[in-house]
Amino acid sequence: MEGLLAGNDDAVRAIYARYGRPIYSLGYRLLGTREAAEELTQDVFLTAWRKAARFDPTRGRLSTWLMTIAHNLAVDRLRRETGVSRPTLVLVDEVPDAPGLDEEAVLIERDAALRALSSLTAAERRLVVRSYFRGMTAREIAERDGIPLGTVKTRLRSAMIKVRKANEGKELL
Amino acid sequence: MNCPAVRDRLTEHALGALHVSDAAPVDRHLAWCAACRKEAGGLQHASATLAFSVALEEPPPDLEARIVGAVHAEVARRSRHPQASPRRSRLVLVAAITATLAVLGTSWGAVMAERAARSDEAARLEEIRRTSAIERFRKILSTMEFADNDGEVFVGSLDPATTAGGSGDALVLVSASITDRAVVLIDGLPSASREFHPFTVRLRGDDGVLMVGRLDRRDLDDGGAATLMEEFDDLTGYDTIIVRDARGRVVLSGILRTRVDIASPAP
Repeated sequence: MEGLLAGNDDAVRAIYARYGRPIYSLGYRLLGTREAAEELTQDVFLTAWRKAARFDPTRGRLSTWLMTIAHNLAVDRLRRETGVSRPTLVLVDEVPDAPGLDEEAVLIERDAALRALSSLTAAERRLVVRSYFRGMTAREIAERDGIPLGTVKTRLRSAMIKVRKANEGKELL
Repeated sequence: MNCPAVRDRLTEHALGALHVSDAAPVDRHLAWCAACRKEAGGLQHASATLAFSVALEEPPPDLEARIVGAVHAEVARRSRHPQASPRRSRLVLVAAITATLAVLGTSWGAVMAERAARSDEAARLEEIRRTSAIERFRKILSTMEFADNDGEVFVGSLDPATTAGGSGDALVLVSASITDRAVVLIDGLPSASREFHPFTVRLRGDDGVLMVGRLDRRDLDDGGAATLMEEFDDLTGYDTIIVRDARGRVVLSGILRTRVDIASPAP
């Protein structure tokens, strides 16, 4: 992070090597176009550089911090722009052969994410996907599904606690 | 917003599924409530886990070079404005905050002493407000993780522009090593009548006008009070707070001219 603060090329490249692809992928899935995903990835790195002094590794992982920045920026953009068409969400893909070291780290993260999602029931998974990837509020989900708002909130909370617990003690990065 | 109300919204907050108007009061609460912040951190971690579940796409080969170039350009831009250049600070904020607020109290005390000459009763009310504002600034700023010895704090009171009343205090922190911040404490705005909402709070300076925040009816308590805190890249030269109602009428305004050095001994 000291390197990122100084704008050091090697530091920026090292962080990009590990997180550039997942950030870009999240941007593409949320925003729907490759151009928007590229802009988002660039914005994430600029935001990370501006706020690097505030990153405290004792309070959270770098991956959590970067992906939170990416998601927040993407959601902000989605709310500014209506009518964005997004490709169908794909949660599972082919695992490339013989990944490099940085790719391997990303795949470990992906493995953890998929393991967490698999710990959810189909209904919980659907709820989480609609909220996180579609930006639907609990109220919107409740109205669309015709179920009480409190029930949606309780299920969402329960699902997120399951996601959190699925990988407890397995935080590798 | 109290802790139960905030916790009711934390899951959606972590999922990024709260509307901005709902997220703002949660953010303000998290700025000072460590217990809720701890719970929010756990949910945020779970939320970030989900980000890795999407199928991996291949970014264009030149994206890395473009990003390195963009960071370079930002570093160069900031180097022309050294006050806003970020670098990791060595000091934990607690010491600086203590010093800041001690000086803040003294500096404001001098300003208030002038006003005391006008009216004892007005001075007494100002003193109460100042004490309350300092305590609230203390709570908000104590959540910051880092500080520096080169930053500057400017404070000032907000005075009503009309007979509708209202009051406030504001603080701008121009930092050499962390993100700049504006904190605005507002009290006595009309909270019941819809015709005034939303209020907008802006900072005016040499380089233009920045939006600090928007206050809807639900952001104000029964007494018309609210707290806004926003981060900015560079607040150098921004010294005027203007609060307008929904019709664009100025409701409160104030100039942040009381400068307070936050230099403090190393802990």
